[in-house]
Amino acid sequence: MSRLKPPRTAVAAASLAALSLAAVTACTSTRSPAGSAAAGSSSGGAGARPLIIGTTDQVTSLDPAGSWDAGSGTIEIEVYSPLLNTPRGTSDVAPDLAAGIKLTGPKEYTVTLKPGLKFANGHDLTSSDVKFSFDRQLKIADKNGPSSLLYDLASVAAPDPLTVVFTLKSANDALFPRVLSTGAGFVVDEQVFPADKVLDDAAIIAGKPWDGPYAVGTYDKNSLVSFTANPAYQGLLGTPKVKDVDLKYYTDASNLKLDVQQGTIDAVYRTLTVADLEDLRTKKGVAVHTGSGNGIRYIVFDLKTQPFGSATKQPDAAKALAVRQAVADSVDRAQLATQVYKGTLTPLYSSVPDGITGATPSLKALYGDKKGGPDKAAAAALLTQAGVPTPVVLNLQYNTDHYGSSSADEYALIKTQLEATGLFTVNLQSTAWTQYGKDRVADQYPVYQLGWYADYLDADDYLASFYSPSSWVANNYTDPTVQALITQEETEPDAAKRTALIQQVQDKVAADVPLIPLLQGSTAIVTRDSVTGVPATLDGAYQFRWAELSKQ
Amino acid sequence: MSVLIQDLPGAVGPAGGTRDLGFARYLAIRFLLIIPTVLALVSVVFFLMRATGDPITIAFGDRLTPAQLQVKLHQAGYDRPLLTQYLEYLRGLATGDFGRTATDDQAVSTVLRTYGAATAELAGYALLVAVAVGVPLGMVAAVYRDRAPDVALRLLAIFNYATPVFFLGLLFKLVFSVWLGWLPASGRASIDVQLELRNQSSTTGLYLVDALRSGDGAAIVDVLEHAVLPGLTLGLLVAGVLMRLVRTNLIGTLSADYVESARSRGVSRFRLVTRHATRPALIPVVTVLGLQVAGLLGGAVLTETTFEWKGLGYELAHYLSARDFPAVQGIVALFAIVVAVTNFLVDAVAAVIDPRVRY
Repeated sequence: MSRLKPPRTAVAAASLAALSLAAVTACTSTRSPAGSAAAGSSSGGAGARPLIIGTTDQVTSLDPAGSWDAGSGTIEIEVYSPLLNTPRGTSDVAPDLAAGIKLTGPKEYTVTLKPGLKFANGHDLTSSDVKFSFDRQLKIADKNGPSSLLYDLASVAAPDPLTVVFTLKSANDALFPRVLSTGAGFVVDEQVFPADKVLDDAAIIAGKPWDGPYAVGTYDKNSLVSFTANPAYQGLLGTPKVKDVDLKYYTDASNLKLDVQQGTIDAVYRTLTVADLEDLRTKKGVAVHTGSGNGIRYIVFDLKTQPFGSATKQPDAAKALAVRQAVADSVDRAQLATQVYKGTLTPLYSSVPDGITGATPSLKALYGDKKGGPDKAAAAALLTQAGVPTPVVLNLQYNTDHYGSSSADEYALIKTQLEATGLFTVNLQSTAWTQYGKDRVADQYPVYQLGWYADYLDADDYLASFYSPSSWVANNYTDPTVQALITQEETEPDAAKRTALIQQVQDKVAADVPLIPLLQGSTAIVTRDSVTGVPATLDGAYQFRWAELSKQ
Repeated sequence: MSVLIQDLPGAVGPAGGTRDLGFARYLAIRFLLIIPTVLALVSVVFFLMRATGDPITIAFGDRLTPAQLQVKLHQAGYDRPLLTQYLEYLRGLATGDFGRTATDDQAVSTVLRTYGAATAELAGYALLVAVAVGVPLGMVAAVYRDRAPDVALRLLAIFNYATPVFFLGLLFKLVFSVWLGWLPASGRASIDVQLELRNQSSTTGLYLVDALRSGDGAAIVDVLEHAVLPGLTLGLLVAGVLMRLVRTNLIGTLSADYVESARSRGVSRFRLVTRHATRPALIPVVTVLGLQVAGLLGGAVLTETTFEWKGLGYELAHYLSARDFPAVQGIVALFAIVVAVTNFLVDAVAAVIDPRVRY
């Protein structure tokens, strides 16, 4: 076959293709790093640029009866209000839509509303809306909703437009005011929401039933949502400092990081990795703010299947306790916090995290060097005294697809710490979350990782959830004294006495150590330098309150 | 999957009315094959999804007791016999009811409509890149056969289709967004433009079309800026295949007798390549382009996730991680239908334009 010399036209065609690509690229080189091509069309109005927040937390539903997740909650706390809320700087609750709340009977709370409350659509917000909101939560009891938080609510009455009476199932429920401040307590417009089913997001947007600091403008679900300050809002958080906010959704946290780094967005909350936060701290124009968080990480012992557990071949309660206590003596929380989490998490010495009323670091004084550090000799003495042969074999399970990829490093370091004592041989195993959830409650894991974040900001949410016989931890720990103390604190109306009871529970479970608290989460908010007011929202409420922020 | 039935060299096909009837039967059989193809795929997905967990446990497994979880699973109907759920799903599918998503309670058909436009737009950009890059460079490689440009282009083609699409995407982002700062790293448009397009009285979901309809030049440029990297990333995947195919075919046709004959008649080199050799060489490209639709949709999942391009691939990744059965089944069913219908169309077109196809 004869060869053809390359014709000029063929070369020209190829060149044209390359030039076309280059031209497309070249025409984009005018883009400013922090702006957009349509920079002039601000939705902020009066020359003000909106505050742009990025997140990876996806929305389930805008209906408070149909959602109970971080993504939906991010929007809901801005557009709905509860009767009570957490004021700035505390973890307690105070009236929001309510003017006041009183315990008017052993099983009865009476709430008085502020006069003249309105939704953004102009409808009056009355006690009838409040009754409607709680009744529909209980009636719908959606699989994705928070209705289970209202387990103690028997009925709601609205005797006059400003008065709501809650009748409870149990007497002196000290927790109910806390429950009113959760997502289960958002008040919705009875003229917009149906009584017996979750409302579609589009219908909610059209109905404008907003009673929070912000109202939704444009809504592109899990893509882009724009907000503007709600002029009808009279709640606890006050008038927002920044009028317009855009919330942009991401799937990949690396894109989120890149955009805040380049100034395309102004703030990021919750969703960046430890490595990303560390990297962003070194970037010009970016500020990383951290405060305490309500998430905790801990190791659980299954009291049936742990070494010397009740269902093992050699059941021995004293030896089982010694093993648990020896592990508590051996873990180095500070090393975990600094080495694995670069200081973004802090050591935790009780299942109730620091910042919650009644939190007491009971394990600190009991284990290790009694200052928070590990103590190999103390661990060895405990095991010798109990007659436990060493090394003790621990089959330790952890999970990375639910508790984060850093869990692998965290538990590798725990294995190193435990084996460094010479007292333990640790077999580490990781399992996917869907299987993990089933296996752990079926007593398949002798020792395993878990985590928790609060439904409401009260110590009880960290005690009853872990140490009650029917707790979700389901590790077969039952102690009548602990259960009695929990019941007492849940029904104690006196705050000081209740705090004392909460401390007693922590001391008792620290001695039994059915689980070992390891680390307390922190809240990280990354902003551009132009954003101010972040420290005001980094308090015990653990909420990112946009109303506190300003943009220069 | 389409199968081309080709004549042996020299065979004679049917003619006249018999030929028309045969063609109609050929199309009918090809069309009917779509049903078992889609059914098989959605069935596999149905059972595989349920073997990997459920959306309730994923969402609430870290805070509800086993008893509370069981109540929610019952509410959702996930504790019913698998066969009952399967038959119910097939019944819905047969009536065009894809159900509602488990995690965010949207009609699956709404998800398909909303995000399908974004994926279609990305696929359009990718095909444009594939043809614009693959065909001319394939021609150059053929013309320079076994010489330096050919070797370089063949290596480029191998690089294109051998490189994982997410890696290429990350590479482009690093160079053009992070280092050079020329192009946006993610999204389909900047926030202002997105809001502007969203607030139009009627939208198609195809941002470029919507931007053109708005008449806002800045919006059009913004949309194109955001399309460059995802379009290139996904398009180059197919461009590599086209480049190799065009090169091979063109080399074949350039050595054909009729080309030699034309050359001996003094036809210019340019006409020889563009008029006589290239057109026949491009016929298989039509078929291959159709077959690449499946590859494009697969690549779209990674490309959309890499570039935050909120299309069906992006949503599929999101719903998969949440084990949202109805959403994943709906999106996969649509992908299966698109691939099967495309293959049907390719078969039909091939039968029309290629006389060697027998039916």
